[in-house]
Amino acid sequence: MSEQTAGRLAVRRDEGTHMLDRLRALLRGRNLAVLALILLLAFLTVYPLSMLLYGSLHSTPPGTAGSFNLEGYRQIMTAHNAVVLLNTIGISFAKTIPSLVVAIFLAWIIARTDTPCRGVLEVMITLPFFVPPILTAMAWGMLGNLQVGLINQTWKAITGSETSPINVYSYGGVIWHMSQYTTTFLFLFLVDAFRAMDPALEEASRMCGASRWTTFRKITLFLLLPVLTSGVMLSFIRGIESFESPLFFGTPAGIKVISTEIYDLITQRAVPEYQSATALSFVILGLMLLLVVWQWTVLRGKSFQTVTGKGFNPGVVRLGAWRWATFAFCLLFFFVTTVLPVGQLAVGSFFQFFGFYGWDMLTLDHYRAVLGDSEFWRATRNTMMLGLVGATATMVLGSIVAYISIRTTWRGRRLIDAMAWLPWMMPGIVLAIGFLWGFAMLPAQIPIYGTVWALFLAYLALGTPVSVRVMSGAYAQLSFDLEECSRVHGATFFQTLTRILVALAWPAFAVGWVLAFFGIMRELSASIMLYTTGSEVLSVVLVKRWVNGLAEEVSVIGLMMMALVIVFRWVQLAVIKRRISTL
Amino acid sequence: MTAVLLENVSRAFGATLAVDRVNLKVEAGEFLTLLGPSGCGKTTTLRMIAGLEQNTTGRITIGNTVVSDADRSIFVAAERRRLGMVFQSYAIWPHMTVFDNVAYPLRIRRRPADEIKQRVMRTLDLVEMQKYAERPAPALSGGQQQRVAIARALVFEPEVLLLDEPLSNLDARLRTQTGDEFRKLQKRLGITSLYVTHDQEEAMALSDRVVVMEGGKILQVGSPEEIYQRPGSRSVAAFFGSPNLLDAEVTASQPADAGYFRLDVAGRNWRGHCQAASRISPGTRVGVLVRPECIALTARDATADADSIRWDGRVKEMIFRGSRRSIAVETAAQVLRVEAPSQQPVAVGDSVTLTTSARTAWAIES
Repeated sequence: MSEQTAGRLAVRRDEGTHMLDRLRALLRGRNLAVLALILLLAFLTVYPLSMLLYGSLHSTPPGTAGSFNLEGYRQIMTAHNAVVLLNTIGISFAKTIPSLVVAIFLAWIIARTDTPCRGVLEVMITLPFFVPPILTAMAWGMLGNLQVGLINQTWKAITGSETSPINVYSYGGVIWHMSQYTTTFLFLFLVDAFRAMDPALEEASRMCGASRWTTFRKITLFLLLPVLTSGVMLSFIRGIESFESPLFFGTPAGIKVISTEIYDLITQRAVPEYQSATALSFVILGLMLLLVVWQWTVLRGKSFQTVTGKGFNPGVVRLGAWRWATFAFCLLFFFVTTVLPVGQLAVGSFFQFFGFYGWDMLTLDHYRAVLGDSEFWRATRNTMMLGLVGATATMVLGSIVAYISIRTTWRGRRLIDAMAWLPWMMPGIVLAIGFLWGFAMLPAQIPIYGTVWALFLAYLALGTPVSVRVMSGAYAQLSFDLEECSRVHGATFFQTLTRILVALAWPAFAVGWVLAFFGIMRELSASIMLYTTGSEVLSVVLVKRWVNGLAEEVSVIGLMMMALVIVFRWVQLAVIKRRISTL
Repeated sequence: MTAVLLENVSRAFGATLAVDRVNLKVEAGEFLTLLGPSGCGKTTTLRMIAGLEQNTTGRITIGNTVVSDADRSIFVAAERRRLGMVFQSYAIWPHMTVFDNVAYPLRIRRRPADEIKQRVMRTLDLVEMQKYAERPAPALSGGQQQRVAIARALVFEPEVLLLDEPLSNLDARLRTQTGDEFRKLQKRLGITSLYVTHDQEEAMALSDRVVVMEGGKILQVGSPEEIYQRPGSRSVAAFFGSPNLLDAEVTASQPADAGYFRLDVAGRNWRGHCQAASRISPGTRVGVLVRPECIALTARDATADADSIRWDGRVKEMIFRGSRRSIAVETAAQVLRVEAPSQQPVAVGDSVTLTTSARTAWAIES
């Protein structure tokens, strides 16, 4: 009450001579702020992209004398690269289809059947989404090892056969590893769509004489089609830029995709072939652009409003005894995607040598080695610091960009929105190369390269599209009336912003923050290009040790990261979900 | 002929009984409305008949077929009951055109293409939607969606049509118009219709018979006039408008015409006659229902005839509503609500006399 009065008095004092000046100052301040934001976003997105273009057209790395030519593009026109391109597209496609089928089935089980313990099962099924793929990749590398992998050993012990049935270093291995993540990702996409659907749409079909199965085929699937399409496209796009799975399972078998080929050109050659690598980066950017444009054209105007206010529980199918079969299927999924790899990490961390499991081989040496290693502690510190600061910065930037593009009519808001979205189609490794060039071109007074700030900026750029999307969704749900009502009752612009908008949008902020944090923790492809000694992060340390054959120490670090993931996920579920439901 | 028969039908959701031993007989060709406040079990009853909800006790028969019997574990799935249904949200499938929506039941039944075309167009003509046949469903207004939903429910000529609050999502003017049109169509086709609504005016305007439900139980079944003018209980009386209920004591009771009884009643500072459904012994306390629109308001001291009840009082409140005036009059008995013609000159504070015909006063046993 007193604050309102104070606010009114303040407004009254402003009236008269000062008002015009104040208005002018505010306008100038706002324009300055918008300009600063545009410059920041340009530095984060447009700058690395243009550096990439420069690199692909210039014969030598930045700073050295060279000439402009099209040599880079000429060099990548080879039969080898044609196979790489086909691999990239083919693997993305091949992993999407089985993932989709399993995801639809799982989402249906969770949202539409009376399978026991669905709440717990849902948490278990979604866990792989939050586990860094590098951890499962290493675990599966051990599990599916041709000679000493646990699965092959068990198979041999049971059947007495001499041949190993599973070799993860193959197309199958790459696809298998990608599918685990994709299935969960598609599941998250679908399960809410299943839940939000007006059950009357299906009931109407049954009243027309269609059986449950016919209804599912002719109505449910078609109603889900927009969600399915966008989910499949996202899965495809993520598949194109995927790095961990092809690096771990493809490279040893000679299976290359674009992202690993770029990595090879820069890190695995006697002389890094920068020009080809950047030219190849543009190929993948072009591919992504095509996909995104395709996504737009297909999805435009295709979202059906199937949600109504009527509060009927979506028709739950009574499965009878079959509900234990669906229960078992969900458990099996959890077992294969989480228990097996985590179990492998746990087992691996306690034995002298990976692959040789006997009582006399039990040891805590690996824990001692890891905990006594300064590189590990440095990487942990860097990861946590980058995670906390990076996630906060990403969400703050995302909130501001989303606010300007959704809630205001300021000039320049479309430019801001477009620039913030640009990294969406840039795979981490491509953005990192752009930054690499960008940092090298900066004057020596701004030493970003070789510090953790290089990684920080890359994470910020990579995370912003998602954070903008999360916050836009939150703002879009808040009616303008809420804001206007606050203004009418005497609150200033900033009071309204903090008391109404932030207060109502903070659950989305929190959810986005956790997503950004997980995103940073799992990030490998940009980190591996940008780190130097002193600015390692955990994922980089893992790869370094893996390459050096220290699978046992990898298991120790992996297990610790896994614990961190579970703690954060638990906090997210226990704290944030409860707050949201009470809001 | 009986079209739908419910015997002792109940539905429990956990510990709560949503529908409690309902018995109901729907005659063929009848328009029957289930009426009640939200949560009274009317929609659950309809969904049990549809087969979208399974009854926990009792038996449901449609035509000559038992479709659900809890004791004998008979349950015919919704899709095999051959019923038409119109949903509150209309449930028009957004990925199909109007034609495809209406054709769906026939395609499911694998009818030949030319027959489908003919029947769909005929049904669309019935609801005056023929020219919209090729429209995609999301491009329809609420009223048009409602017509498509009715066409889809009628196209395969079901024996019984179920309607779950089909008009509640339309605006007031469209609601009346669509309701009247639907009633005409229903009469013309002679299709048995079960209609769920919470809107009393809708129920009275459309139905042959109204079933008033509360707390999962049926309170009363009867024609709209019966339910409105001769309610069996205070709850049913109170459900329609805001009636005047006067406490009174019966002094005499004798048979009158049409099977009813004529009572002599005495209230606080008034006495008169009223009607009742049964003989009520003298000395019993009853509530006398007098509808506000049945009360005539005149200047004080006008003489009233012997067959009327009369109260004197002062106007306490007056609200002008355009087509009528809502007036509250303070009398020696209690405050009485009166609906008077709007042109009648009356002002707050006026001394007035209220009269009502004994034939319109109705006694309800407490």
